[in-house]
Amino acid sequence: MIALRVGLAALLLMLAVTIQTSVLTNIAVAGVTCDLVLIVVIALALSRGPEWGAIAGFVGGLLLDIVPPADHTAGRWALALAIAGYVAGLIRRETSAGPVGPLGVALTVVFGAGLSLLIYSATGALLHDPSVDWGQFGVRIGIAAGYDVVGAIVVIPLVMWLMSRFTATRERRVMTREF
Amino acid sequence: MLKDLGTPARGLVRAAGVPREVRRRRTILVLIILACFTLIVLDARRSAGSPVEPLRAGAAAVFGPLESTASSARKPVDNLRDRFAETDKLKAENEKLHSENDKLRQELNTTDYARSRAGELDGLLRLAPKFTMTPARVIGIGSLQSFNHTVTIDAGTADGVRADMTVINGSGLVGRVVRTTEATATVLLIGDRNSTVGGRLNSTLALGFVSGRGELAGTLDYKLVDLKAKPRVGDRIVTWGSSGNAPYVPGVPIGVVTSVSATAGGLGTTATIKPYVDPTRIDTVGVVTGPPARPARPQLKPTTTAGSAR
Repeated sequence: MIALRVGLAALLLMLAVTIQTSVLTNIAVAGVTCDLVLIVVIALALSRGPEWGAIAGFVGGLLLDIVPPADHTAGRWALALAIAGYVAGLIRRETSAGPVGPLGVALTVVFGAGLSLLIYSATGALLHDPSVDWGQFGVRIGIAAGYDVVGAIVVIPLVMWLMSRFTATRERRVMTREF
Repeated sequence: MLKDLGTPARGLVRAAGVPREVRRRRTILVLIILACFTLIVLDARRSAGSPVEPLRAGAAAVFGPLESTASSARKPVDNLRDRFAETDKLKAENEKLHSENDKLRQELNTTDYARSRAGELDGLLRLAPKFTMTPARVIGIGSLQSFNHTVTIDAGTADGVRADMTVINGSGLVGRVVRTTEATATVLLIGDRNSTVGGRLNSTLALGFVSGRGELAGTLDYKLVDLKAKPRVGDRIVTWGSSGNAPYVPGVPIGVVTSVSATAGGLGTTATIKPYVDPTRIDTVGVVTGPPARPARPQLKPTTTAGSAR
């Protein structure tokens, strides 16, 4: 079951990277695309917790770093998305076992978008990447967060439903063993 | 007894009141962060020998075909964009673009790329570069969140595309190839902040450098080498070309001067350039894979050792 779940997560991340780089950029708002990978990472974190968030964030970010149009130092998106995924998983834990409400999900996505973009830009600034433009940073973070929420409305329920289909039986078994 | 022996150590670790699950979770986070920093440090020098390069090649090999498929299935997305954007303006633009695209495709399919628009510039520079082109389609675009102005095209080493080749389309200079794999290539657009192109002012033949600003519209800055030379609004700029035609071939139109101002904190003037190529609408491009049919530099006389004709 766990192998199946990992496979599903990997498949979702690959799909997200492909769509984000070649389809979503055609409907970019002022050049900023919907961070589909971030949304999938947050969805995985919300359904499985911080460890999954961090690992999925690392893998998804690494893909963003090395899949063709990318031309920046590898590891920057990996770091940003890993931390965003971890934090999103923590939010799920803090609000306890119950499912996170729609508002909670939206706020998590906004927070994740801001945090990941900040980390990405900060590492770029540390590496003296001339392409990091703090003047444009505020505008882009705003557009990205708004766009991500729109994308999350569609994607997060889908991913969480898929994940729950693959976890339901096992989770139940664990529950019965523990109590 | 054994249990008792075990307790003090466990008590020490638990002193902070951190349960095992949380500790495990934190260990994973720390490991991942360390892995990221390792990657960044390994790849930071961006030299050819970066250990991340094989990873990039592998990713391109897997994702190139995927992106290619995805972008050929983007018709519904384009329709969606039509619906959301100001429809009339966009439709008209689309139609114009389509006809331009068709024209471009026709041009690209003929072996010699007739660059009709640059006719006057070519005449001025006394060169008529008829380069050998490899047509390619854009299959992936870098997003502005990454501050990346790069695109992926569906032509690679198998089609004769190599790093440091010029990429143009029907309107002018698009960028240069920075990285290739078997079937894909990554193109750095001229609007990227990492990009600098040698540009020649076609009214005075003055030389200067065109650098990207990292803006959406691809606006460029132009600084002249000669501090006294002044570009005028409406002047056109073409590439001056590099030795060996890499990374830029000569005579490709870059853009037109839209405003001129004094360089902030320096001598000379800086011109703002609107590129001929709209970076958000690049679809079919041509990679210059062959030398011009005629030498780019007209030879005036049996040259001396210096060899520079000018």
